[in-house]
Amino acid sequence: MAELKYIGKPAQRVGGLEKVMGKTKYVGDYNLPGMLYARTLRSDLPHARIKRLDVSPALKVPGVLAAITSEDFHNHGQFGFPIKDMYMLAYEKVRYVGEGIATVAAETPAAAAAGMQAIICELEELPAIFDMDEALAPEAPQVGPLRADGKHPNFLGHYPVYKGNPEEMLKQCDVTIDQKYETVMQEHAYIETEGALGIATTEGGVVVYVSCQSPFIPRGHIASVLNLPEGRVRVIVPPVGGSFGGKDDLNYQAAGQVAALALKTKRPVRMTFSREESMIASYKRGAMRMNIRLGADKDGTLRACQFKSTYDSGAYSSQSPFTSWRASIHAMGAYRYDACTVDINTVYTNQGYAGAYRGFGNTEVCSGIEQAVDEMADALKMDPMDFRLKNCLKVGDVTPHSQTLTESVGLTDCLLAVRKMSDWDRKRKNYSNQPVNGDGKRRGIGVAALFHGTSLGAEGADEATGTIELHDDNLVTLTSGLTDYGTGSRTVYTLIAAEVLGIDPSRIRVHLPDTNTAKDSGPTVASRATMLGGNATKVAALNLLQNLDWAAADLLNCDLHQLQRVGESYVGPSEEPVSWETVVSHAREMGLVLSAHGKWTAPLIQWDEEHGTGIPYFAYHFGAQVAEVEVDMNTGLTDVIGLWAVHDIGKVIFPQGAYGQLYGGISHGFGYALYEDVDYMDGYLQSVNFDTYLIPTSADMPEIHGGFVEAEFSQGPFGAKNIAEPAMVPTAPAILNAIAHASGRRIRKLPANLERVMLGEALKKKASTVSCKVALNIT
Amino acid sequence: MSNYDYAIAQTIEDAVSLLNEPGKRSIPLAGGTDVFVALRVNDLWFDRLVDVGRIPEMRQIREEGGKVSLGGAVQFKQAVENPTLRERVSFLSAACESIGGPAIRNAGTFGGNIANAAACADSLPALVCLEAEAHLCSAKGERVVPVEELVTAPHKTQIEHGELITHITFTLPPKKARSCFIKIGRRKAQSISRLSIAVIGTLDEDGIIDYVRICPGAAVATPVRFRNVEQTLIGKRPGKELFAAAGDQLVAEMIESTGRRWSTPYKEVALKTIAERALANIFLQDESSC
Ligand SMILES: Cc1cc2nc3c(=O)[nH]c(=O)nc-3n(C[C@H](O)[C@H](O)[C@H](O)COP(=O)(O)OP(=O)(O)OC[C@H]3O[C@@H](n4cnc5c(N)ncnc54)[C@H](O)[C@@H]3O)c2cc1C
Repeated sequence: MAELKYIGKPAQRVGGLEKVMGKTKYVGDYNLPGMLYARTLRSDLPHARIKRLDVSPALKVPGVLAAITSEDFHNHGQFGFPIKDMYMLAYEKVRYVGEGIATVAAETPAAAAAGMQAIICELEELPAIFDMDEALAPEAPQVGPLRADGKHPNFLGHYPVYKGNPEEMLKQCDVTIDQKYETVMQEHAYIETEGALGIATTEGGVVVYVSCQSPFIPRGHIASVLNLPEGRVRVIVPPVGGSFGGKDDLNYQAAGQVAALALKTKRPVRMTFSREESMIASYKRGAMRMNIRLGADKDGTLRACQFKSTYDSGAYSSQSPFTSWRASIHAMGAYRYDACTVDINTVYTNQGYAGAYRGFGNTEVCSGIEQAVDEMADALKMDPMDFRLKNCLKVGDVTPHSQTLTESVGLTDCLLAVRKMSDWDRKRKNYSNQPVNGDGKRRGIGVAALFHGTSLGAEGADEATGTIELHDDNLVTLTSGLTDYGTGSRTVYTLIAAEVLGIDPSRIRVHLPDTNTAKDSGPTVASRATMLGGNATKVAALNLLQNLDWAAADLLNCDLHQLQRVGESYVGPSEEPVSWETVVSHAREMGLVLSAHGKWTAPLIQWDEEHGTGIPYFAYHFGAQVAEVEVDMNTGLTDVIGLWAVHDIGKVIFPQGAYGQLYGGISHGFGYALYEDVDYMDGYLQSVNFDTYLIPTSADMPEIHGGFVEAEFSQGPFGAKNIAEPAMVPTAPAILNAIAHASGRRIRKLPANLERVMLGEALKKKASTVSCKVALNIT
Repeated sequence: MSNYDYAIAQTIEDAVSLLNEPGKRSIPLAGGTDVFVALRVNDLWFDRLVDVGRIPEMRQIREEGGKVSLGGAVQFKQAVENPTLRERVSFLSAACESIGGPAIRNAGTFGGNIANAAACADSLPALVCLEAEAHLCSAKGERVVPVEELVTAPHKTQIEHGELITHITFTLPPKKARSCFIKIGRRKAQSISRLSIAVIGTLDEDGIIDYVRICPGAAVATPVRFRNVEQTLIGKRPGKELFAAAGDQLVAEMIESTGRRWSTPYKEVALKTIAERALANIFLQDESSC
């Protein structure tokens, strides 16, 4: 390959300057003449039947123009993918505290709040389930929908991976580990809360601006719940202030509600959530309980893994079928086993609800398996780094899913690099022989590794389409149906198009996703934007390049293969360069089409859901992180004093973006390890704002030393894979392993807060329903 | 959305008369870092905010004849930067430095911290150790109340409606005094004290403790000195065993005061730890802990 000019070189982030200068306008900043404000009445009970719902008193409140309930939607507003178990507004029942029941639109936010409070809503409380282990008891109250197969309605799905019989093999292993691990729910903590703006069109359709990840999904939902043809619904994604997986279902409901209200009132209608409403109503990372058994030989060869777990989806399925599946694929970690089984059962309860969040199941299982692997290394008296290096996946290995890895497996290199960078060997030795010093503080160092399947895998069809257009002023624009919600994907597309076309990136703009101009490219999830959208951009740019090259050949009177590029200019056999602009105008004179589509379809994969075997993903990201901590043995305070992370992300396209994702992801993992706990108690969220829901501040984050191994993937754009989600996945177990090394205390339930580190258990205050109830009425 | 009035007071007299204007419930506003948070979730409990944060006298830190006067509207940032406080009562500077983050320290005030009277208020333990006195001014005149007595329960004080904390005074401790403030929070910034302790003390020429004051924060309902523990230490030679005994006594008295609560299993270990560390820092020059 010729030397790359833009790929992998420092670049200015698209949209970055505007954000830093505070000029970016989010949907909450959009104001239109005559715009109404929407506000939703939300359930203050975890499980209840709606006995009476009367919005007419709201309509009498001055300033209120409309109010809607599930009756205002086609088919009661039912939606959801892959399981249709949600409604735009609650229908017949509410299943969690914070579920939307009715929405009003009014001239002012205050009138909307007064209208919301005037609605008559009588709820008949139903027994509820708050513990995932009780969800499938025969007498458990029904939370999930009735099933055709006659199974318990609270059973959502079973997700297996089966290779051999670990039960038998464990008996033959020299050393075994059998432990329970537990993770808790986590809040995405995006800075921008949920928001949507709906505008009715003169043709009876609707335009909706909604802060979300995947515009074509709400377009489909809105069309379906309003019984409109898809062509009458246009969804535009304005700049998104963070998402991390969190802007699906709730934002789709907001989009559907403002669309319905806009059609009803013929006025623009905007809805923006307060932080409290966002925290209470939104879905979280789900909680998981795991039982992991590992077996190894005395020489340190891992042989068997048996992983059993329950995953709590809460009141709705949301993305949990996919999260659980991804969890099952990654549950055993990036290691070889002779026998390995995974069984994950996912259930419904009334503890809020769980959906997508960075890492998507892998973050949960990795915190378990990477601790178990560490405990195994301890039991074998082996250095945990050596133990991982001995057992980790390499090119040519067959995974427990029966997939042969043929290329792009950089885990060994990641482990070796992070070992060196972190000065592992010296520190591990020093801290292992640490005397208990007088001040009660002890240091430790821990490692965790991961693999992470790229893109959707066997979750569904995997393709993307990009468009490119060269305009009269020689500006090049790109569209993608995939959203850059802070990930840097627009910069990635810009660099790819610039590289292919041989032009300066400053000539290129990327449009915001708009269902009227961009092509449906599937959801912007699963860290797939670079690989899918990047490849589509590359194909589109190559298509445009063909015509430009043709024009250049015509202009320079030569064959295509005789063309060369010097800077942006074209040079033919005459060696007299002609500028890119000249070539472009010649192409116009020739009447060539200066726009193109590019579509890329991912390699085929297959998964046998019943037998838990197949090829779940076409490629994998690998990585390893090391954490160094100082634990105050007498206060339980953990100070993370250093973090090192080396990830195999394939070819790095936009270095600052890749590092940004790495650092940001690690900060999420840091919070997951030490602070974060969405503390539902009997269905009521206890921390409804960031005064009590703690995430790391800049003062808590140590310096992160990052690095990349570029084990290029032959089918990725320029060899790229992905980074966004996997960046956070191994952080928590690396920190937990470091805490165990420092203190001898194994924290098997997240987070490792003051009490758990010091006492081995968290202390619980009495549950209170007050903050939820007060917060839902904040005006 | 709450509707209320707002007035700016130019002088203390101005503030007092605004606060006491009949027919209007007026309360002082300084940095607003407690008021506006409370306003979000509580029903309106006043008709007017009287901004006392711009009264020049209330923004001053003065030292005269060994007595320090902190204006009621002095912000934590000012206290952190004040050389006299840093040198003579470093535990107060340290406490102020531990509050919130830069934005909160730029706005939050001593008057607000005292009047808000949270059990975890970070400036209070050091002020209590210093036997600081709050100077209150109202239409009825002036009165002086020790900070330790002013706060009567969590979020309750003796401050009457219409009363303003104009300033807080304390006598500078002996030059040789060493002091220490330790705070345990769940994270390093924007963190409420899970537990804290302020300790100040001196040794006589023979190396015997002749002056010590101890006030934990977030341990009992209000920040108070633990005088029995102080008595245990007075007249003794500093040492690990003595401090361990003092720590045990402190914990026992805390539990006596609060009863066993959900947080006691944690606090009983942590309080002893920070008490021992603070004492070691002051009397054994153990720098590692403070
Ligand atoms: C993000 C955040 C972090 C925080 N972190 C900490 C922390 O780490 N430690 C800590 O201790 N606190 C913390 N606080 C609480 C708060 O900042 C402090 O209590 C601060 O001292 C309040 O001062 P203020 O000037 O902002 O008070 P205001 O909010 O203006 O007033 C608080 C109360 O005091 C009354 N008042 C104010 N001035 C006077 C006066 N001169 N005389 C009589 N009454 C008066 C007001 O009427 C009101 O009732 C935090 C707050 C926030 C929002």
